Amino acid sequence: MKAPRPIFTLAFLLVLCFSLAASLHPVFAIMAGDHAGDSMIKTVLGDGRKMFANHFYTQADVYFHSGFYPNFIEQSYATGGPKKIHIAERQEEGKTDDDDEKEEPGMNFMGKSADWIESFGRHFRSHVHTHLDKPGAAREILPWLQLAAELDPQKVETYTVASFWLRKNMHKPDEAETFLRQGLKANPTSFEILYELGLVYYEDRKEPERALNLLDLALVRWRQAEAAHRKPDPHQCDAILAHLSTIEESNGHWSNAVSYLEQEMEFTPSKESVGKRIEELRMKIPH
Amino acid sequence: MLPIIDISGLRVEYRTQAIGQTHKLAVDGLDLQVMPGEVFGFLGPNGAGKTTTMNVLLGFVTPSGGTAKLFGTDVQQPIARQRIGYLPELTYYYKFLTAEEILRFYAKIFKIPKAEVEPRINQLLKLVELEHARKRVIKGYSKGMQQRVGLAQALINNPDLLILDEPTSGLDPIGRMKVREIIQRLKNEGKTVLFSSHELGEVETVCDRVAILHQGKLRVQGRVNDLLKEYQTNLEQIFLKIIGYQPSIAI
Amino acid sequence: MNVILAIANVVIKELYRRKDFYVLLVLTAVITILMASANIFNDDKVVGYLKETCLRLIWLSALVIAVGTAARQIPAEIEQRTIFPLLAKPVTRWQVILGKFVGCWLASGIAIVVFYAFLMVVSASHEHEWRLLNNFQCLWMEWMFLAIVISMVLLGSVVFAAPSSTLTITLVVVLGILLLGENLNLVAVHQAEPVRSLLYVVYFSIPQFSWFYLGDFVVHKIGSVEWLYIFLASLYSMAYSAFFLLTTWVCFRRKGLNK
Repeated sequence: MKAPRPIFTLAFLLVLCFSLAASLHPVFAIMAGDHAGDSMIKTVLGDGRKMFANHFYTQADVYFHSGFYPNFIEQSYATGGPKKIHIAERQEEGKTDDDDEKEEPGMNFMGKSADWIESFGRHFRSHVHTHLDKPGAAREILPWLQLAAELDPQKVETYTVASFWLRKNMHKPDEAETFLRQGLKANPTSFEILYELGLVYYEDRKEPERALNLLDLALVRWRQAEAAHRKPDPHQCDAILAHLSTIEESNGHWSNAVSYLEQEMEFTPSKESVGKRIEELRMKIPH
Repeated sequence: MLPIIDISGLRVEYRTQAIGQTHKLAVDGLDLQVMPGEVFGFLGPNGAGKTTTMNVLLGFVTPSGGTAKLFGTDVQQPIARQRIGYLPELTYYYKFLTAEEILRFYAKIFKIPKAEVEPRINQLLKLVELEHARKRVIKGYSKGMQQRVGLAQALINNPDLLILDEPTSGLDPIGRMKVREIIQRLKNEGKTVLFSSHELGEVETVCDRVAILHQGKLRVQGRVNDLLKEYQTNLEQIFLKIIGYQPSIAI
Repeated sequence: MNVILAIANVVIKELYRRKDFYVLLVLTAVITILMASANIFNDDKVVGYLKETCLRLIWLSALVIAVGTAARQIPAEIEQRTIFPLLAKPVTRWQVILGKFVGCWLASGIAIVVFYAFLMVVSASHEHEWRLLNNFQCLWMEWMFLAIVISMVLLGSVVFAAPSSTLTITLVVVLGILLLGENLNLVAVHQAEPVRSLLYVVYFSIPQFSWFYLGDFVVHKIGSVEWLYIFLASLYSMAYSAFFLLTTWVCFRRKGLNK
């Protein structure tokens, strides 16, 4: 019997492979379930992507400090920090870099050199503590935040930090809102993202009613998190309540404003000033 | 007249991993001289020590004892190789270079003046009949073509001494004839040639003197005509007698 | 000098007639262009991440080219027997080593010039400025780094049996020094004896590769390095390269060439 020509064997194998792929695809799509829509990066990296996400989030902080940043060994041996990533903090008005140095003890990693090698090597490193807070300068941290969000959509700070700098430094509220909504889709119960979204509508879009709804929902989510013993940050609740009372006050709804301030008394470190504000607003409520 | 090659009491030992033996004696007390203008045949069965001796002359191997000189200079000095050309048995050259580039490379090594380089390259490529393939990389050459490149690079510096290790190995009859013609031409120009070969008929035709090595020792040395007269037979039979070969069947 | 340059010329020809260089160049270009086409919050002026990614790719590609080229020089000459017609000429083994070093170094230099030209075009298209000084300093220091690496690899190629072992071991050592070398003193301080002393010996012996990466100055636009320190670092690189090359010669001069 003559052996079949190779081309026919190849053609047969091709048809067989295609038929198998077509018939098995729906089966695997069902098995993939929630991960069916995952990007290639997530599929390739698996849970290791969270490690990369953290690295890229830190990289955003490195860029924020123009490369003046301790490496991973310096971080592990440094006393006192950097305990938290600086870009997560809001840049407060009137603060200088000297204030930041005091608040970031970990950024004093370049102390006295131990030997000539270390001393000489510093000339080839970024050695001045700066921040990318000039208008438009924060754009450099955004790619890293975008990448971190792509790899770990459950890391909420990525969205809130990016939104802050998009609004305050880049003046891009539309992009901030889109990014926050993307984060909300991945984290529907996140009060942090809802709060940030509320700020977009209040401070940038000047839509206080919508802001009010979002901040109210944020407060509800915070309370739910507290009830579920997830220990949400009380300062966040303080901020939400402060903004709610400010919006109600600007709308002339004094009693609502007072109610929010009274709730804020539980969380605020400035009880005296909040108490004073309550008294002032009570004076305005018609009897 | 001083010999061009002067080997005295040469001894080369190698370390070996054979059981019961730590060292192997490749060359044992070799005394050899090659005079200017001679064509000298270096003969011996495989493993006799011919290539080892050539490697010593070329500085690849450091001798364990004795001396070896080229043009009166110790072979370990690079300057001793300024006036020699060498064609190895297995010819390998940089596969990514063309024949022209290889010759130009070796011309630079010999510090040949720029004005002389191109005419010499043209002349050599014509001599070895590789003009048509001068721009082609060596990777695309046949064995015979590579051998001819080897011959050309051995002649690039117009050497006074040419050392050829099995120069006709792998060549067809026409190629072998061409090599013989080149050796004869060099002899007519007063050059000295030292070559090893298993083609004893060729050696008998071309060489003035021969030396036969066996198991690292020099067994016989002399003019070809004198040896033929003394043994009353051809060089092949002399060779087989010297190495003590007994045929199992009558030929 | 003629001999050394002639051997170097052959090494350079080998590099650009092999495919490795072009594959790495195209890969770097494709990855950079893909990243440049990404939409970063509708902002087309973002350039830091692009420069950083491109620089890291350049470093990796240049390292692979340098190590890959240097690792096979002497072993391939011996294995393919091209060393015999070479040493049969008035060439010393020291000239062969130096020629191979100069060739690999110049070849790597040509490769990184091409890579940096690409980087400058990409970053200038976003920033609208060339920043020649920063880029030149970064390129120069990378070239000095490659000098040490190539001399290390040549030593490895004479010591180890196969080019693949040389390549693997050298890459591991170089990457290890890049990641940990500059902080070994910090680690040593927190260890007990005798580990502390051992770490200090290693710390002061190894070449400090971290000095040679000036990417921060290119990416973050924080000025430039003083020329005095560039000069001193270059001298440091030449000193280490000379040490490795001398050691290579000591190992190679008595090495048997027949297999």
